[in-house]
Amino acid sequence: MTRAMSPADTVTSLPPRAAGDPAEPVGDKTVHWRRRLAYALMIGYALLMFVPFAWTVITSLKTLPDSERLTLIPDPLTFAPWQYIFTNLQPNIIRLFLNSFVIAIAVTISNVVLGSLAGYAFARLRFPLRNVLFLIVLATLMIPDQLRMLPIYLIVNALGLRTGVLQYGGVILVLAISATSVFLLRQYFLTIPKDLEEAARIDGAGHFRTFLRVMLPLASPAIAAVTILQFQGTWNSFFWPVVLIRDKDYWTLPIGLTLFRLTGGMSNDWPPLMATVVIATIPILVLYLFFQRYFVEGVAASGVKG
Amino acid sequence: MVASASTRRTSEAPRAPRAARIRRIGERQEALAGFALVAVPMALFLILNIGSILYAMFISVWRWNVRTGPVEFKGLDNYTRVLNDPIFQAAVGNTLYYTAVWVPLTMVIGLFLAIIVNQKIRGQTFFRGAFYFPAIASSAAITTLWIFIVSPYGLFNEARGALGFNPLFSAMGFDANQDWLGDYHTALNSVIVLNAWTTSGTFMLFYLASLQAIPHEVYEAAAIDGAGAWSTFRQITFPLLRPGHFFVATVGVIGGLQLFDQSFIAGGPDGNPANSLMTMVLYLYNRAFKRVSFGEAAAVGVILFVVIFGATLLQRWFFEGRHKEASA
Amino acid sequence: MRKRFLSMTFAAAFIAAACTGGGASNAPTGGTGATTGTGSTAGTGETQAPQFDPSTISGDVTLGQWESSPAEGTALKAALDAFAVKYPNIKVTQTTIAGDYRAQMVNKFGAADVPDLFYVNAEYAPEWMSQGFLLPLDDYINNQGFDTAPFFPDYLSIFQQDGVTYGLPKDGNTIAMAVNTDLVPTPPTTLDELVQVATSLKGKSGLKAPMCLNASLDRGLGFIYANGGSLLTDDGTASAIDTDASKAAVQSYMDLFKNGLGQTNTQLGDGWCGEALGKGDVAIVFEGGWLKGAMDAFPDIKWQFAEMPTGSSGQKVTINYTAAYGIGQDSKNKDQAWVLMQYLTGPEGMAKWTEGGIAVPSRSDVPVPEGFDVIVKGADYAKPGSGFMPNYPDVLKAFGDAFLKQVTDKTYDAGPVVTATKAAIDSALSSQ
Repeated sequence: MTRAMSPADTVTSLPPRAAGDPAEPVGDKTVHWRRRLAYALMIGYALLMFVPFAWTVITSLKTLPDSERLTLIPDPLTFAPWQYIFTNLQPNIIRLFLNSFVIAIAVTISNVVLGSLAGYAFARLRFPLRNVLFLIVLATLMIPDQLRMLPIYLIVNALGLRTGVLQYGGVILVLAISATSVFLLRQYFLTIPKDLEEAARIDGAGHFRTFLRVMLPLASPAIAAVTILQFQGTWNSFFWPVVLIRDKDYWTLPIGLTLFRLTGGMSNDWPPLMATVVIATIPILVLYLFFQRYFVEGVAASGVKG
Repeated sequence: MVASASTRRTSEAPRAPRAARIRRIGERQEALAGFALVAVPMALFLILNIGSILYAMFISVWRWNVRTGPVEFKGLDNYTRVLNDPIFQAAVGNTLYYTAVWVPLTMVIGLFLAIIVNQKIRGQTFFRGAFYFPAIASSAAITTLWIFIVSPYGLFNEARGALGFNPLFSAMGFDANQDWLGDYHTALNSVIVLNAWTTSGTFMLFYLASLQAIPHEVYEAAAIDGAGAWSTFRQITFPLLRPGHFFVATVGVIGGLQLFDQSFIAGGPDGNPANSLMTMVLYLYNRAFKRVSFGEAAAVGVILFVVIFGATLLQRWFFEGRHKEASA
Repeated sequence: MRKRFLSMTFAAAFIAAACTGGGASNAPTGGTGATTGTGSTAGTGETQAPQFDPSTISGDVTLGQWESSPAEGTALKAALDAFAVKYPNIKVTQTTIAGDYRAQMVNKFGAADVPDLFYVNAEYAPEWMSQGFLLPLDDYINNQGFDTAPFFPDYLSIFQQDGVTYGLPKDGNTIAMAVNTDLVPTPPTTLDELVQVATSLKGKSGLKAPMCLNASLDRGLGFIYANGGSLLTDDGTASAIDTDASKAAVQSYMDLFKNGLGQTNTQLGDGWCGEALGKGDVAIVFEGGWLKGAMDAFPDIKWQFAEMPTGSSGQKVTINYTAAYGIGQDSKNKDQAWVLMQYLTGPEGMAKWTEGGIAVPSRSDVPVPEGFDVIVKGADYAKPGSGFMPNYPDVLKAFGDAFLKQVTDKTYDAGPVVTATKAAIDSALSSQ
């Protein structure tokens, strides 16, 4: 699942931090005992979420025969897989990393800029066709990417975004603005009290200045959520890069990872593959550790998964 | 909006013509500003989305040369060819099966996790973070990892052997080194398990948002009535979550019908082994770039769109039409 | 809400139609003749290609290719090094197309972003020719006086359509039997003997199975021919896979799996059958010349090629494979590409390439490299293993998928395989 539709039916704004509802009556000893069991199960399940990733890291330090053994300590411990992905792959992992990074940053910036412009306009300005246009934005969430595959492929080629570094352009163009970004920012702008805006207006500020000076800074939580979601979504995206990027030198990490395994490069050589998985996941992991709140709130509010 | 603005204009105009003129200028400025702000994003939406639909419909009725464009008008031929192709039929079967199993499974897990995390418990943030954790990685990374885990000598087979589960598995007809993604019987189910695992965290968050929208008083009332945990859930929580169910199911079905990444990554563009990972969307890709038939590929896209649109309307009817009390 | 939603979507759609109309018509339309005379007219009378002496051409040329083994990369490098010495003014840039070669290349054709010279596998050559992806080579061939007569006609004809030549075969291969000589000192010459030998090897310690077999037509077709079966009627216009002879032939190939005489590489846990022979998992495999380069990695195994055993048809038969070099209609440096092509498919370049031990020459005037006598002998009686019908990959896939299911389920019934294959053949023939 790469995209989702509008959550208009359920969520109207970023929800407050989880408060927790006391749903269970508290009481006697069996409840205590049950509670302990529940904790044990939850901790077990939580650990189960991390095991595969830990296994990835462990495997990336093993030799190939050792990688198919059920041991936690690599024997022998080797950094050869890491060396392999940094030196032997064509193009090497740093190049892939940079490709992913450039595309993800560009798409993120574009979504924040275009999303807040449109989000503000849809939330606060009155203009003809506003509701129609906003419905169209939401409707795009129902269009499968794959229906758009050939048209976009042909349009992008016709625009000349075909060769070399221009191939970034095709992917960036397709992902430049998502309905989720517009929706999320619009919903947030709707929650900002009108008085602030009107105060600025009385001071003689025009629509653009009000937007830039007053509204935009106030929307920073929503902008943060859009930033996180778009960066993660683009970093992880698979479909558009695989269709629009042909030259190896401009592959993103997910494409490299997949195609190296399917043909040539690594096939089922697990340790270097797992090292690549680690590299491909680390930036998002770091973001997640620091900005978990925005992941959680952004996803809950937008119904999007990268 | 347009309506309300004009109503105001007619009602106020006779009383204060000057003020009205100023307001009209203000309105015009506001409209111009609005158009200016949405111009670029809307252009992209219209061309890349709405325009693409029409363009795809156009391509789908042509024999279309990859290099040179339309060659010969084919009417609905591309559609009939596709619908009669046994591989497409297999793709539709796989896609429907996947959606029918994966969506409910993931909803159940997601709801369960959401209810757990919604309790007043210690480490709530930790658990929520942990349960969502598998969803953060890219499909390429997580699928590659999964391919490794369920490979014949991978973690899953080794671990079940070490834990002594093998008699259970051999009773089900799987030997110790079952190749889960390499055997056409188990490949699609392996992908279902993978995606249920990774997406249940996302569904949990959707449900969590819904759960938190249920007012406290409802539970308090239930507690006063002496309802137990299960009956509270069954009679109060679950029905009140209907908008949440609708949203999660809709998102799930739309996503499920578009299964591509995991199939492509594990089974390549042919959906190996033996078409077991061939999905509608993978078939579309395959038709376009292996079979060099853009017309047929576009036809598949249009069919997929109709199916998704239909499924969404059907769900709307299912969740709302039959339960009038649910709010839109 | 819903009604409004729908009508608005469509209203917007029509606005968008106006916008994308431009995009659509900008997409390559009517490209015939945009770059060179293409398709049916080219090559017949036009003399567009300049008269030139290959050695005076200079510039860059990109070469796109797949690489199925490191040995293949080494062999190609040797040939390109020799080219660099002879044509120092042309700089070759090599790109290995990773991923699914066919899909990646089609994506490149559509984006007019193709290498100047690239491999064309016989399997999908018919489609690529009829889609107009490939540059007709007749002008170059005629103007240069490049002699195509030494090419084996079976190979060359695959890359010709309606009298136009679109590719020159870079090499050829035939499928032969390869045996572990410690375990099979005298190779069987008939399929009956093969069954006897394989049966006697069953359960032999160290062996996972007597033979490694592909659950696919890419080897199975040779067995089907050997037993008198066929995919198509002799004139190639209709399916013949459902004749009794063909059914029996498919069943007899399937029986090799059924009787435990052969397993697939996946069942054996090997990447491909050559690896299975090299690791000593099996004693008999059926491969082409590429096996030789690959077996260098397993010096402990003694092995040799032997001719494909004859079957109930009584005739010697095997299948051959070939691939060509082609130039794209949208390739940038066509002249440079031609220079490289005429070298690599000419006697000198092909000799360099085939010395690498991956494939045998596709021309009669290039000496057969050492150790490939059996492979070359097979060329005398081989039938094409691909490229002999349109959309063959679909047929290959239908057969392979159905066959694999039978093997996986241990049901070993040729019936469903024949049914699925026939449907695919019918559809492939009708779609042209």
